[in-house]
Amino acid sequence: MAKGQTKQLAYEGLWQNNPIFAQVLGICSTLAVTNLVLNTAVMCIALVFTLSFSAVTVSVLRNFTPRNIRMMVETLIIAFYVIIIDVILKAYWPQMSDNLGPYVGLIITNCIVMGRCEACANSNPPAKALLDGLFNALGYSFILLIIATFREVLGMGTFLSFNVPYFSSGYWDKWTIMVMPPGAFFMLAIVVWIFRSIQISKEGKKK
Amino acid sequence: MKDKRWYPVMYMFIVTAILSAAVIGFSQYTQEIVQANQERNFEIAVLKVLPDMYDPGLSSIDLHKTFTEQLDKPTEQTAGAYTLRKNGIIEAYALPIEGQGFWAPIKAVIGIKSDTKTITGLVIYEQRETPGLGAEVAKREFTEQFENLVLSINDKPISFRRPGEELQQGQVHAITGATQTSTRLEKIINFNLNQWREKLNN
Repeated sequence: MAKGQTKQLAYEGLWQNNPIFAQVLGICSTLAVTNLVLNTAVMCIALVFTLSFSAVTVSVLRNFTPRNIRMMVETLIIAFYVIIIDVILKAYWPQMSDNLGPYVGLIITNCIVMGRCEACANSNPPAKALLDGLFNALGYSFILLIIATFREVLGMGTFLSFNVPYFSSGYWDKWTIMVMPPGAFFMLAIVVWIFRSIQISKEGKKK
Repeated sequence: MKDKRWYPVMYMFIVTAILSAAVIGFSQYTQEIVQANQERNFEIAVLKVLPDMYDPGLSSIDLHKTFTEQLDKPTEQTAGAYTLRKNGIIEAYALPIEGQGFWAPIKAVIGIKSDTKTITGLVIYEQRETPGLGAEVAKREFTEQFENLVLSINDKPISFRRPGEELQQGQVHAITGATQTSTRLEKIINFNLNQWREKLNN
């Protein structure tokens, strides 16, 4: 595969067509797991794994899968990888499994996964599907980590459960609302606003 | 072949068979570890409800040691409760309880002093209630209400009251917005406590 194509896919997934602020997909998990950076990081790794492997599998099977049942097959493949992650967490990291609760299972319904399978993996060779999935998942991850960092630092005064100077001291009145559901909406809206503004101003310059 | 009528059915069948086989194989492989994790959760729950038994600094091996060496296994005399003894005299009981929650069974351990009237603690170690609502019962903010709670003498040893209401003997505050989980948990605790005390007295 040409080098230019990889670059193009990275640009699309991470920036131009970013799942969170351009496509506005997968918002449910963005809102749910971003109150602690560690939970978010694990969720992101799980999504990177699911999305990359599902995309490859869907792509490998694309010439054999009948059109009319392709969505069923895709859901099945996605569910397969998600269950594998769920079992791994339960066995080797039970505490994280408890922290994330039902959200790991809900990756199955994460719109980004199905969206990329339908939009790209279904009609492209495995290598391209893999990169597309990977970069979209990374695009999702970096936005989530930004949101989680702000929420944890402002709301709890910690980062990855370590105390942050100033924010964990008595001078900082912890914004409890940031770790509660409304905080997720505020942060998401602000992040989408900032990134969309940058994107639009860049597009304007090109013209 | 692809346009044959049976092809999609056959195809779906084969893909499902392969993927399910892989999932089943994998979960069989990790089953023992998952089970060991669950057992450890239970042991920690038992230690936590007994007075001064749980030390968060201990490794899971040491916790297992404390559990097996310092506690006595349930017998008929204790009606299914683990016991903590000092010089052979029972100091406290840890009773495993279980019942149907809103979505799935709730499993918990309740600690009771030797007078069978005072609760020493409650830990819910397995539940699948709604996150943010019913699942709050497993949190410390809720369960710490049970520490040193004296049971009421009528046939309802524990009763849940609305949050904010004044509490009397044997009463704790329920969870706002989780009426189902609260009433079910109240029933589970009362049913198990009554049954246990009856057995113990016989």
